[in-house]
Amino acid sequence: MSVSQKDRSGLVEVVDDIEAINALYRERQWGDGLPVIPPTRERVERMLAGTQRAHDEVVAEVAPGFGVATVQQIAVNAVLAGCEASHMPVLIAAVEAISAPEFNLQAVSTTTNAATAWVIVNGPVAQKLGMNSGLNCLGQGNWANATIGRAVHLIMQNIGHALPGEMDRATQGQPGKFTFCCSENEAASPWMPLHVERGFKSEQSTVTVVGASGTLNMLCHEKDAMDLLRVIADSMIYPASNDYWCGGAPWLVLGPEHADILHLAGLSKADVKALLWEKTKMQASRRSIKDLARTRDARSAELGEIGLDTLLPISPTPDEIGILVAGGPGTHSVYVPTFGNTRSVTRVIEL
Amino acid sequence: MTGTVLVYDPTAPLRQQHAAQSRRVLSRLAGISVGFIDNSKPNFNHLADDLGDLLMTRYGVKSVVRHRKPMAGIATPEQVMNKMTEQCNLVITGSGD
Repeated sequence: MSVSQKDRSGLVEVVDDIEAINALYRERQWGDGLPVIPPTRERVERMLAGTQRAHDEVVAEVAPGFGVATVQQIAVNAVLAGCEASHMPVLIAAVEAISAPEFNLQAVSTTTNAATAWVIVNGPVAQKLGMNSGLNCLGQGNWANATIGRAVHLIMQNIGHALPGEMDRATQGQPGKFTFCCSENEAASPWMPLHVERGFKSEQSTVTVVGASGTLNMLCHEKDAMDLLRVIADSMIYPASNDYWCGGAPWLVLGPEHADILHLAGLSKADVKALLWEKTKMQASRRSIKDLARTRDARSAELGEIGLDTLLPISPTPDEIGILVAGGPGTHSVYVPTFGNTRSVTRVIEL
Repeated sequence: MTGTVLVYDPTAPLRQQHAAQSRRVLSRLAGISVGFIDNSKPNFNHLADDLGDLLMTRYGVKSVVRHRKPMAGIATPEQVMNKMTEQCNLVITGSGD
């Protein structure tokens, strides 16, 4: 049994036993359902050594509860998740990114949709931390991918107070709510990396967050670029999508083989976005009658009168379709639909 | 014999807890202006219609100000919040569905 008492510094006294400590965290709803590393004073001190920022500096107030994310409180959650001190600058940038108004964390964390934060790392830091951008980059097995993504979700729950079943109202949620993090396979990409596309220097490192509703694997062996795009576009269209409801900003994780086919056909990333935007227009009547009424509420200012035959674009503009090149060998890409009322945010990682 | 160890609470105070002391109490409804922020989910507009009528006819509320969001999942624009703060003594937000 864990007997605990909290003092003013936020420290709680508990029986020095890993099972008792985990029982305490479970009882207080301070974890994600998996065992945690106890954030002792010594471990948190070691984690704080990973950043030059003052321990009491406020990085952000994290929605929906708007808990105060100090550098130290980020470090506490980083320890819980199993992070290393070198992950701290990525976590600080990620907290800044999820707290930007356009990410709309207040809605992402409280919606009945499965949405959560997908964390993408670009630039030299990804290699320095040994992140996985290749085979199984969205799966298990890489320490940095797994623990950085987990820490961001623990921060959303513990500092943002998005407790599942309480302020987090997700009807089912998704496995990505445990962890959802990868880096871009910049070496295998035929195009400029995401952060350079967004105006950062290639030698800078960045974190990008996306309000992702899940992942859909797309297998296509086609070598003809236009036919490949047709199949990808068809796979992105579904009538129950939040992106069509409100004009979203969905993402694609293109496998390097698919990206190469498109590049060899002379297509830039902007060309791919423009073609997909045209090919993913969906007839409004495919939405349910009630959901079409919501689409009219949400998109009439953007699209004018919406009839049954109106072709709904998946996003207000082609550029709002996000493209990341990641993964290893294989003829697969991944569609990442989003919450819709959210825009991805990129922040520099200050090393 | 197992000893004890100190571990950190990973949560952070809610901003609402800081703001709790500034909470004000209205002494009456008569003669005041009441605002509704309609989250646009089905039927909330009807609920706000009925509540508005009730507040004016039974409790003497002077006026009712309405703002309907285009979608539930977005924040009310700051200029609307500022306008309602100026115009209303009390603003009711809803999450009707």
